[in-house]
Amino acid sequence: MNDDKLLALGAELGRRLMSSGAEIYRVEESVIRLLRAYGAEPQVFAVPSCLFISLSAPDEPAVMRMCRIPAHGTDIELLEQCNCLCRELCRNPIPVEEAFEQVTHLEDRCRKHNPAVVLFGYWMTTAFFALFFGGTLPDCLSAGLCGLAVGLCALFGTRITGSNIFFRTTVHAALVSAFAFLLLRAGVAQNLEAVTIGSLMVLVPGVALTNAMREIMAGDIFSGLNRTAEVILVATAIALGTALPLILGQYI
Amino acid sequence: MNAILSDYFLPCLWASLASAGFGLIFNIHGRGLTICAFGAGLGWLVYLLALDAWGQDIFAAFLAAIVCGFYSEIMARLRRCPVTGYLLVALLPLVPGAGVYYAMQYCVQGENERFLTTLLHTFGMAAALSVGAMLVTSVLRALLPKFHRAIH
Repeated sequence: MNDDKLLALGAELGRRLMSSGAEIYRVEESVIRLLRAYGAEPQVFAVPSCLFISLSAPDEPAVMRMCRIPAHGTDIELLEQCNCLCRELCRNPIPVEEAFEQVTHLEDRCRKHNPAVVLFGYWMTTAFFALFFGGTLPDCLSAGLCGLAVGLCALFGTRITGSNIFFRTTVHAALVSAFAFLLLRAGVAQNLEAVTIGSLMVLVPGVALTNAMREIMAGDIFSGLNRTAEVILVATAIALGTALPLILGQYI
Repeated sequence: MNAILSDYFLPCLWASLASAGFGLIFNIHGRGLTICAFGAGLGWLVYLLALDAWGQDIFAAFLAAIVCGFYSEIMARLRRCPVTGYLLVALLPLVPGAGVYYAMQYCVQGENERFLTTLLHTFGMAAALSVGAMLVTSVLRALLPKFHRAIH
């Protein structure tokens, strides 16, 4: 058995799972199942930014591999494809080289929304959440504009805002708040709260919060605390970002 | 009739449409998008009904999270997909975004007492949601281990 190739297979699949936003227990379980299907007895440990896999056989030196996971968003399609491929490989372990080939080409199998559709998603979320929080039709349209601004900034502005989640969220929240304030002053929006809250829903760390609690309940306390810290940071960033234009607005 | 429309139907419709937008951002395709949107609407309907019946919003959020959890687990098993996506999107309307906003506003205005009350209440809602959703996953895992293993 070629341990190196097997390790690479596990690491590549694990890395993709992690960067699609899967929970820790799902990543660990999938890699363990996959490597067991190939007759190895792996030890796997994952934290939100790192994945460790080690293999040891009785009369061979132990080998181990570490994989750093960069900052990532959520990509449910990639998650589903990874899961599907992992299940296929577990049921029918094809030669390691072929499996590796399939894992490295997973991204090609994934459908991806083009940026216009994702922008439409931002518009839809903010516009309908404004209505949801008791806004009127003009509020819905203004919130949609705020959402488009955040969407553009999130999709194309990463070079300026950087990958630091705290700074990026502050910028986005400030953008939302400033747009909402300006639209209110211009007489388009009628209800500042509905517009701001509706638009902030795209930034609120609901996903991270749910994930954090899920990790803790699943027993991965370390990852759970890590994600909880992220939630607190993002929430602070939102509060800070929203407050800035409102404070400045009082003097205009 | 009109009251039902404006009190129950419309909020649920807005919630599901907004969540469908989130589904697009999370790169969910096709039928999964409809499932997520319906789950979000269902969760909010349960929340509203429970709020009317008992008047306690944290308990209502807990019940809604349980219903969302069940719905997502069933859909995930039917479609043989990870439950993560459905659950995240279905819980979105319940996530206390407004609470975070008001807490921040009280903090900026220097009203410390109201700030702390709102903040604690927001944490309570968040905890109720996560416990409710995770309870379903844990119970199903414990009750149906074979089923779980077969489907992965």
